[in-house]
Amino acid sequence: MKESFFRSMTWMHTWVGLLVCWLLYLIFFAGTISFFRDEVTLWNQPALHSIQAPQERIAQQREQIIAGVDYLKATAPESGRWGIYLPTEREPQLNYAYEKPRPEGKRFGGWQDHYINPTTGDSLQQPRETKGGNFFYRLHFDLHYIDVRTARWIVCFASLFMLVALISGVVIHKRIFKDMFSFRKNKGSRSWLDGHNVSSVLALPFHIMITYTGLITLIFMLFPYPAMTAYDDGVRGLFNDVTPTNVRTKSSDVAAPLTPIDSVLDQIYTNWPNADLTRFSIKDPNKTSATITVRASTGTLVRDQTPTMLFNGVDGSLIAKSVDEYSSTEVFYDSLTALHTGRLANPLLRWLYFLCGIAGCIMIATGCIMWAKRIRERMKKDQKASFGLKLVEGLNLATLMGLPLATCAFFIANRLLPLSLTQRADKEILAFFIAWLAVALFSLFKRAKMQWYLLAWVNAVACISVPLINALTTKGNIVSYLLNSQWALFSFDLVCLVCALLFALQAKKLRTQLHTPTPTTRSNHVTKNSLVEQKA
Amino acid sequence: MYAQPVNKVPTRNPLLKLKMACKANVYALCVVARFSAAIVGGYIFTAVFTSLLSLILPLKKSDAVLLSISLTILVYSCVFIWAFAVKSLKTIWITILLTSSACGLSIALLKGWL
Repeated sequence: MKESFFRSMTWMHTWVGLLVCWLLYLIFFAGTISFFRDEVTLWNQPALHSIQAPQERIAQQREQIIAGVDYLKATAPESGRWGIYLPTEREPQLNYAYEKPRPEGKRFGGWQDHYINPTTGDSLQQPRETKGGNFFYRLHFDLHYIDVRTARWIVCFASLFMLVALISGVVIHKRIFKDMFSFRKNKGSRSWLDGHNVSSVLALPFHIMITYTGLITLIFMLFPYPAMTAYDDGVRGLFNDVTPTNVRTKSSDVAAPLTPIDSVLDQIYTNWPNADLTRFSIKDPNKTSATITVRASTGTLVRDQTPTMLFNGVDGSLIAKSVDEYSSTEVFYDSLTALHTGRLANPLLRWLYFLCGIAGCIMIATGCIMWAKRIRERMKKDQKASFGLKLVEGLNLATLMGLPLATCAFFIANRLLPLSLTQRADKEILAFFIAWLAVALFSLFKRAKMQWYLLAWVNAVACISVPLINALTTKGNIVSYLLNSQWALFSFDLVCLVCALLFALQAKKLRTQLHTPTPTTRSNHVTKNSLVEQKA
Repeated sequence: MYAQPVNKVPTRNPLLKLKMACKANVYALCVVARFSAAIVGGYIFTAVFTSLLSLILPLKKSDAVLLSISLTILVYSCVFIWAFAVKSLKTIWITILLTSSACGLSIALLKGWL
């Protein structure tokens, strides 16, 4: 019985993993980049590079809000929504945004941003149209080009498979502790297995945590049933119960003057002394239905729900305020989401998140390569590869080598596309997918070691060209970032260079293999090389 | 790893066909049958079980719902793995349908739908 249990778990591990590994790779890859979402967005906006981090960020917030409301009153009195986005530790700019007029039938018209340098108070030149890190953030769970809801269901099931594969992986792994320290180099699929084990086991708590909590973030779509059973109006009923600020107001067209902002601010600071505010938004300004929502940062608390206050925009009275003390269940549920998004992370922890994410990418990559290798090794000399094997090999090459190239194409497009292009942000994304498609077509044609070698070089060149093109098209470069201690930008360029180096190493390694005379290639790309594939 | 040749015995009953195919180790079919049992069966059971849990947990209403929602994934993955560990597909489906309807019935009684 025990032996058959092990066998069924091994069987399941293989199948569950193989079915979704490429999609999971995409999810992990995009998710890993999303940990540095704000930093990537910053890199994509050279107009914001010149901003120095303000010295007394929190102390300036009051004046910034007052100035913002004055600006918006003068600029967009008719707009349906105003938003004042205050600088945070990761986003240096101040943004006074308002909603553009709504097109027919749409519920939201999109934001018109107005960026301001918080240290000097000058408005910055019109930022370029780009999605930046948000593209990867959305790609991580909404995919792209397909319906958002369908995409989320697909992502949910892929994550569920991941969780099941993780659990069964632990079950079938009899020597989990010993294998943590063993890496047998140059041993064919054995090396790949070791690589798979090391990357999985070292970051196992992270993998399980991130998959479980990832599913929790989409849980109301996947399992709305408990809420539907307990509340008459389902999930909305639950939300209204746990978030008192979740109040819906009907918009009216009757004009009414906005309450003095000073009195609202006084109330905020009496309730939350020393608050680090992040956003001050006004819905239906200058109307009788005006409401003001204020959000504060959660800082490094393991908490996802932002502290929120809701005010009446006409008489300035406090309508609702988020709960300060959570019950233990709320803490449990909320901390799961907080752990996944990692907004709580200070720079060091953020890098740890990033490294663990890369370990996850390696785990998936080595897993799917190993499957193909094993089948190849078991094949007789004159046996032809089955369609399934060819498919897996093709998808491996297309995904593992295609995604880094696509990512580089996205960043290069950000710098090279003309600023006046219409729908520029979409064109950047198009560049991402065209690059990926090109690799996919290439691997349709052939997917032998030679193709891996060629793509490794292409990737190395692409990675190195990202900081190079950045240096040529903007005022800064990796050296000036280091000298001015602009760490976010410096790290971005550095990671690109490291990736380029790793790809070059991979190419070199593959080259020696290509030239080894023995036809029985018991191959061995070093796992380090798969490290390459992720970072980009 | 590969499917072995199938002994072709003509039969009309699709259930019997499935069983025979599994016996003859038609790999692809086995994989599909297992996965559908794990995915669909697991989903049904988890949905009903956690809904019941949200009603019977001795906590405040919102707390009970949040806790059972946080546990859904744990329940689902356990059922999923169990569906691969049990030998016969029939056992899986019977167990899932029986337990789910028992849970469903309890929900109906508690909510006074009957």
